[in-house]
Amino acid sequence: MDDESDYLAAAGNAFRALSQERWQVHLADRTEQALKILQTEKVELVVLVVNSPVLDIALLLDSFGQQHPQLKKVVMTATSTSLTGGADLILEKPVSAEGLKSVFGRLGELLDWALPEGFPSPSSSVSLADLVQMECLARNSSILELFREHSLGRIYIEAGQIIHAVCGETAGERAFQKLLGVAGGTFELHDFEPPPERTLNRPWDYLLGEAARQRELSDFRTRSSGAAPAGGEAVSSEPTAQATEMLICSATGEVLYNWQCAAATARVTLMKNMAQRAEQLIPELQLGKLDRLEIQLADSRVVLQPRADRLISVRVAAHLVAHEG
Amino acid sequence: MKDNLKTWFAGLPAVPGMLACGVRQPNGKCAGFGDAKIYPSEKIEKLLKQFAELHAPLAAAELSPRWTTWIFEYGQLRFVARPDNCLLLLLVSPETEAAQNLDPLSEKFLTVPVK
Repeated sequence: MDDESDYLAAAGNAFRALSQERWQVHLADRTEQALKILQTEKVELVVLVVNSPVLDIALLLDSFGQQHPQLKKVVMTATSTSLTGGADLILEKPVSAEGLKSVFGRLGELLDWALPEGFPSPSSSVSLADLVQMECLARNSSILELFREHSLGRIYIEAGQIIHAVCGETAGERAFQKLLGVAGGTFELHDFEPPPERTLNRPWDYLLGEAARQRELSDFRTRSSGAAPAGGEAVSSEPTAQATEMLICSATGEVLYNWQCAAATARVTLMKNMAQRAEQLIPELQLGKLDRLEIQLADSRVVLQPRADRLISVRVAAHLVAHEG
Repeated sequence: MKDNLKTWFAGLPAVPGMLACGVRQPNGKCAGFGDAKIYPSEKIEKLLKQFAELHAPLAAAELSPRWTTWIFEYGQLRFVARPDNCLLLLLVSPETEAAQNLDPLSEKFLTVPVK
């Protein structure tokens, strides 16, 4: 959707040609027209071109999303206005054929995107972790900028490798984990420019796995303490020292992530066993769904969490156990 | 009078938020309290047996728990096993006095003499 009809027609033609007519492209130059298309056609992805900073993008995307909760939403903007909420991806509006080709590639990646097992799944929209993984798998070079009311930080990806992250005054892996820990927000994808420094050398799958682990730990602590969720505040990486091991496996027992769990095979067997027993216990006890099983040991506590798509085991050191009481 | 297992256990149903509780003595004798409709003594006895069976998989995973807690949406189930094979099961409502005192109650169970 774009209110500049010439650009709209050119972009539509370009996307049709680049997809070799595999994409069915519908064009709208007004909101009502776009909503009508969404009512009558099976639409997977909507691209909203923003030429004016006064347009209420969040409201518009929300109205799109109400009709199709799984709809992927991309904003292409020619303005430098700060955009908030609703979009899965924000791109700069291309002004050349080469730029349209690059955008087409990114839209294709977004359409093809399916989250691999092991990374916590977002309910509907694409998360920053998804986007980083998409860029790395496609061996792209880009800069991902995360916004929540204002810019929170940037992640630099060069030829599929994460080479630098900055979040406020923090840089490197800590900055990367902070950005990945932010709930909500919107992302803007910029053309790659060399960063002022290179602060990251680890493989991208390790960095994303570590981010997934920290999110699980954060969720676990929230549940354990009975505290309200953090409301999307940036996750501090400091408390991770209190956990001594973590294991995530798929529902079928395939190890997806192992951090310092020496007896992984035995732990997976235990998790599967406990999950099965929980299934038997649930109807008998009439206590609703099982959230977790806590195993109190002499020097630590092991928490097992069976989920529909994965099983999680976290071991927490005794000093934390004492504080949690 | 010094507490023994029987007198200590008899006081458990009075703790606010205690939905059911059960104990199995080393000689195999079981006792249980709970709502007769939802948690009759046969069900408590069965739960004690089911939880006792958890020892094997826990041991196989090289875990020797002091106790285990199953946390459900509407309740928590604490299971404590003593070295003398005496077992305790506590079923409590969340955010109640019973839930807040699960650890002290479990600690007490681990030390209270059978007789």
